[in-house]
Amino acid sequence: MEIVWFGALALLLAGYFALEGFDIGVGMLLPVLGRDQAARDRLVGAIAPFVLANEVWLVAGVGVLFGAFPTLEGDVLFALYPLVVALLVSWIVRDAGLWFRRRVDGPRWRAFWDGALCAGSWGLALTWGFALARVATGLDGLPALLLGVVLAAVVAAVFAFHGRTFAAWRLAGEGRPRGGRALLGSALLAASPALAGLALTASTVVGHAAPAGTLNMLGLMVVPFAPLMVGAQIWVWRTFGPRRPAGSRVPSFF
Amino acid sequence: MDVLDLARTQFAVTGSLHFLFVVLTLGLAPLVAIMQTRHALSGKPVFERMTRFWGQTYVINYALGVFTGLVMEFQFGLSWSGLSHYAGDVFGAPLAIETLVAFFLESTFLALWIFGWHRLPRWLHLACIWLVTLTAYASAFWIMVANAFLQNPAGSQVRGDRLALTDPGALLSNPSFVYAFPHVIGAGLLAGGLVVAGASAFQLSRRHPEAEFFTRSMRLGTVVASIGVFLAVGFGFAQFGPIGGLQPGKFDSDPLSGLSLGLMIMLGELLMLLFMFLLLPLIWWLPKWRWTHPVVILATPVPFVAAILGWLAREVGRQPWMINGRLTVADAMSPGLTPGMVGASFAAFAGLLGLLAVVDYVLIARTVLRGPAATFLGAPEESHASDCPSPALTY
Ligand code: HEM
Repeated sequence: MEIVWFGALALLLAGYFALEGFDIGVGMLLPVLGRDQAARDRLVGAIAPFVLANEVWLVAGVGVLFGAFPTLEGDVLFALYPLVVALLVSWIVRDAGLWFRRRVDGPRWRAFWDGALCAGSWGLALTWGFALARVATGLDGLPALLLGVVLAAVVAAVFAFHGRTFAAWRLAGEGRPRGGRALLGSALLAASPALAGLALTASTVVGHAAPAGTLNMLGLMVVPFAPLMVGAQIWVWRTFGPRRPAGSRVPSFF
Repeated sequence: MDVLDLARTQFAVTGSLHFLFVVLTLGLAPLVAIMQTRHALSGKPVFERMTRFWGQTYVINYALGVFTGLVMEFQFGLSWSGLSHYAGDVFGAPLAIETLVAFFLESTFLALWIFGWHRLPRWLHLACIWLVTLTAYASAFWIMVANAFLQNPAGSQVRGDRLALTDPGALLSNPSFVYAFPHVIGAGLLAGGLVVAGASAFQLSRRHPEAEFFTRSMRLGTVVASIGVFLAVGFGFAQFGPIGGLQPGKFDSDPLSGLSLGLMIMLGELLMLLFMFLLLPLIWWLPKWRWTHPVVILATPVPFVAAILGWLAREVGRQPWMINGRLTVADAMSPGLTPGMVGASFAAFAGLLGLLAVVDYVLIARTVLRGPAATFLGAPEESHASDCPSPALTY
């Protein structure tokens, strides 16, 4: 059972990197890819229907950490205290940019929240780099900081690449057209830092699993809903993928 | 303030902020679902416009529910790692199910609902808002299960120096849960119904041209709020039974707890009288009789105040325990937590969330003020030609 729950945790974290990675990447590149407001609106509109369904992967991942590996949850989050705070602040700032940017008309309002979206996205990518450096290696102090700088750059780079690929896949006229294969490849690339971190920590994580009774109850409650969860995610991709019926000109809510 | 007080205040402030938005989500979600169902059944355009207008209010409110909720989820690890060390094998399970099943589905279906206007078949789109409602209630269910465990650690046993889950059924039939959950649902319906009724009364009193729109909204809001107030008051009194047995003297130890309880009950009974003897009997004439409008408008914030008081009564009354009789709050605090850490994160979270909460309420007020014609959610056509240089580029 421990292995199964570790698999669930790994799937959720890697899935978060693969999916949120392109939302974050597009947010980071917003000023670069979107030179004018109309272009920025199109870019944000491209990720808009996916963000809510993507960011929950991390919320669920932390839930699994709490439910199936409870003693680890407190230790990991506490050990990363300033990074977790930075991650949350970045996340909220990014999301506020998304939710609020179209709520008032006017170029200054939208530019301000686009700035929040971009800054929050950078904050998320960089914080993940530093967090991975600490969790995966158990390093502390200067070595952790140095490795953190490197990993922050790596995460930012793979997310930006993934975001760029997604934009080309979803939007016509956004650079060289990209197919599903290219998107899958960049998703794997975006997930790789998380997968590496999980591989390095696997035995520690499994050693912190909750007792069988708890894991069984969790399984009993979660497994029946797993098909619905998978189905809902697939439904999002089928509905908002690039091949949409022509002529529906619906303005994006974000 | 020492570090413990700081950490507790941080939890209380972010938790209260969270619930202010959550309680409205719980009330508005079924209201919007009912409106959309009536549109699907009758085909009347007014119901579609109501769905979009109140749906936009709901969605804007939802944003802050998420932002504050994120801080809540991570705060357990940041400030209270002693809780997961001692009782994580029990307490973690309901929280895991909440995030993994309920919130995961809620967020996914909400994305489909918000962005699926004019794209999903009508009945599937309708199914989405009902699924959003259902999963929001499932979230509330599991969070209340977790909270009830702190009030009364049912279904668990001390094994060594930790708590073990011995009886999942007892966790779910915890007397601290079974009455508190409907009480909270009642609070949500009351808050959501009154917001719809109060905002409609405001527009009607300004002689807004969309009289039919706000007349229907006001009546529907009043019906839902009445159901809410009966649930809240009924299950409110019902809670005294288990509390007397499990947490005797709960509201006497700290004056803040007793005072909050008394005030909540007073506000609850006032609202109950208002609905029983004025708003419900006069429901047909309410939209027309303008003298009733200030009363409804003034009553609108009351459920929110009562809800915060309710949580103060419940949580302050539990002190000094984190888990009643088992683990104190002081022992649950993360070892090594310093006032500097909590102070800095508290300032960051409270400052950011407070600011965004104000912006959010202004945006909700603005949505209401501008009226149904200006609703953005589910607008049928791209209105700004400049946004869409060519059809292929419009999303
Ligand atoms: C006559 C009316 C009411 C009575 C008798 C009543 C009673 C109670 C009691 C006994 C508790 C439990 C405290 C604990 O477990 O320690 C409680 C909690 C609470 N109350 Fe009320 N209440 C009333 C009205 C309201 C209203 C109008 C609202 C909001 C709209 C509200 C919101 C809450 C909330 C959010 C809680 C915390 C969660 C819970 O324990 O259910 N209450 N109330």
